[in-house]
Amino acid sequence: MRRGLMRWDEGELPLGVFEQRMQRLRTAMRTAGLDALVLYTNLVRPSGVHYLTGFTPYWSEGLLLVGRDGPPVFATALSKRVAEWIRSVSPVGDIVNTPQPGTVLGQRIAADPSVRRVGVLELDAFPAGSYEEMSAAAPGREFVDATALFAELRRKTDAAERRLLARADAIAVAALQEVDAADAADAGAVAGAVEKRARLEGAEEAYIAVAPDLATERRMIRTAPSLALKDMFALRVSVAYKGNWVRRTRTFARDGGARQDLSRAEKWFASLIASLPAETALAEQIEAEVQQLPGARLVSFMAEGAIGSYPLQVIAASNAPPSRRLGDFLVLTVELVIDGRPWLGAAPALVGNASLT
Amino acid sequence: MRPVFARRRARLAEAMATAGVDALILYGNAWQNDYLRYATDFGILEGQALALARQDGEVTLYLDSPLEAERAALECAGVEVVHAPDLVVTVETALGRLRNQRIGGAPFRLLPRRIAARAKDLNLGDETSLLDRLLMGKVALEIDAMRRAARLADEGYAVFRAAARPGRADYELIAEVEAFYRAHGVDDNFQIIGVGGPEVRGMAPPGGKRLKAGDLVTTELTPCVDGYYCQICRTLTVGPASEAQRAAHALYRESMEAGLGVVRDGVTAADIARAENDVFRRHGLGDYITSEYTRVRGHGMGLFADTKPHLLENVTTRIDAGMTLIVHPNTYHPVVGYMVLGDAVVVTDDGADLLTAMPRDLFAVPA
Repeated sequence: MRRGLMRWDEGELPLGVFEQRMQRLRTAMRTAGLDALVLYTNLVRPSGVHYLTGFTPYWSEGLLLVGRDGPPVFATALSKRVAEWIRSVSPVGDIVNTPQPGTVLGQRIAADPSVRRVGVLELDAFPAGSYEEMSAAAPGREFVDATALFAELRRKTDAAERRLLARADAIAVAALQEVDAADAADAGAVAGAVEKRARLEGAEEAYIAVAPDLATERRMIRTAPSLALKDMFALRVSVAYKGNWVRRTRTFARDGGARQDLSRAEKWFASLIASLPAETALAEQIEAEVQQLPGARLVSFMAEGAIGSYPLQVIAASNAPPSRRLGDFLVLTVELVIDGRPWLGAAPALVGNASLT
Repeated sequence: MRPVFARRRARLAEAMATAGVDALILYGNAWQNDYLRYATDFGILEGQALALARQDGEVTLYLDSPLEAERAALECAGVEVVHAPDLVVTVETALGRLRNQRIGGAPFRLLPRRIAARAKDLNLGDETSLLDRLLMGKVALEIDAMRRAARLADEGYAVFRAAARPGRADYELIAEVEAFYRAHGVDDNFQIIGVGGPEVRGMAPPGGKRLKAGDLVTTELTPCVDGYYCQICRTLTVGPASEAQRAAHALYRESMEAGLGVVRDGVTAADIARAENDVFRRHGLGDYITSEYTRVRGHGMGLFADTKPHLLENVTTRIDAGMTLIVHPNTYHPVVGYMVLGDAVVVTDDGADLLTAMPRDLFAVPA
């Protein structure tokens, strides 16, 4: 569940930003012949609803109905007593507290005879119970998948989103600075220090993962007590700030020689992140850049973006078909071998821009 | 494979055989993960997962997040892990191969629409209640895990108390608790907080409020150990408690202890709730036990922080030995604001064994 700082701050996310986002969405809906759009949210799939309303449920679930005009309607199974809190973190739309959000939105759809065709974000994955309630309450309406429409909208970030992403990234960077490779011994203690820093900096959420011994295993796990950190290890921190997510991964080494290689890889990665061009396929770009790092070999890469209900979802990867539809924000994760040593890195990037801000 | 997981797998296979179910499709995410965790022992954080559990004990865990699939491959002994970028289609295809078999789904309402829409074709029925029964009634190994979680609930609250002082923000208190929990192997924690006086109507995630003298600070703290959540609810004051705060706390304590006094094998959830509520009614506060001011008077705990049964006067679920419950008369008090007090127990044949050991005091931290 979410248990970090959750608060709407108009200075960070002005009402006008929501209005612009809603306007862009409605333009896309008109073009696609949609009379309404429905989005599902819970703490795992919050991003679509958050983008339009600023709201992330700390628990439970809800549905957002966006019509052709007027305020959107957010129906949630969170109890009525929580309505005041929802309003404090989400300034947009009408709130309905109900044990059956699907029924309520279906009734709203049915009440307007001009609403015939309703888009649904991620229709196939929509929870069966909510869909059953909604479609039963709105007989005769056509429900169609609107995932591609929404993804197209989300491929372009606005200035407010970039500012919040930059803040999330600053938290992630600060959190990882808590790691002192020379002294770090216990993975649990290190994870605790990293997470504490992230939360003290105002993170809404922080997930910490660790590869405690890169010599034997580069995949990451959650920490456990008395899990020893070996000579080379890596930490990944995934941070949310006001609903906006980034990841940072860093590789650490105790040995001086290894640290030199890590330092070279980090500089290379920072340069790559700062120079991702908008028009070149990501795989080709990374392959070309790896050639510039002596002794390095690319093992894999993965790019994630926020284009649907997930905070971050894979939009390109070395083990997937090439994609040229990335969007301007992504989190890039790269695994290299450099002079025989593994290296893992991840950082957020704005395609075609030097920094998140 | 951890013994508690092996025991769950055996119970699941037995229940499936009894119900004549050949395979189960179980959904999970970081919010509602108990059904999935029962069969896989995986504590999912990101993305969504579906597990296909067969009566012969084989389990395949499908995850759409590559990071989570990597982690599951390392953390889940005895489970086949599949990274399925297109989760719904991959699992639909797998279910399609189970021709002429009876398949159950749980929790059915959260299954992907596309799969549920093919229920008739796939011979897929709602078996949520089959899992609910297993989730509510714990075996000894599960209760051992609950005891470990309870110890960390007590210790976590001690960290929370030590962190509370005037000027600190609510989220900073939670940061201290989380740091302690990560260092002690706690996977997850359900925690909400309230800070202030009569204007506070409930608890929520922290919003940046800073503690000041005279505040009530409430929290529900629910660490997860080996997948099992155990909760504790306590209230503290910043500075010495006022007479009104002390009187209110005494009432909540009387109510909680009345509820705990009723718990034993064979009573109903309603019996416990009624015992708690009667105390409020006797003190003329009957209005404050309604849904306008409170949600439940306690609930089950286990692989989910807030599992069935809910302790309410209209819930007639039988309470069985082996269930683990929190009894908490948390509600709004018209004079002092929202107040909480709750202890976790395991139900026995003739009563309840306390899981949490923190004193039931209204704590005070220096102003």
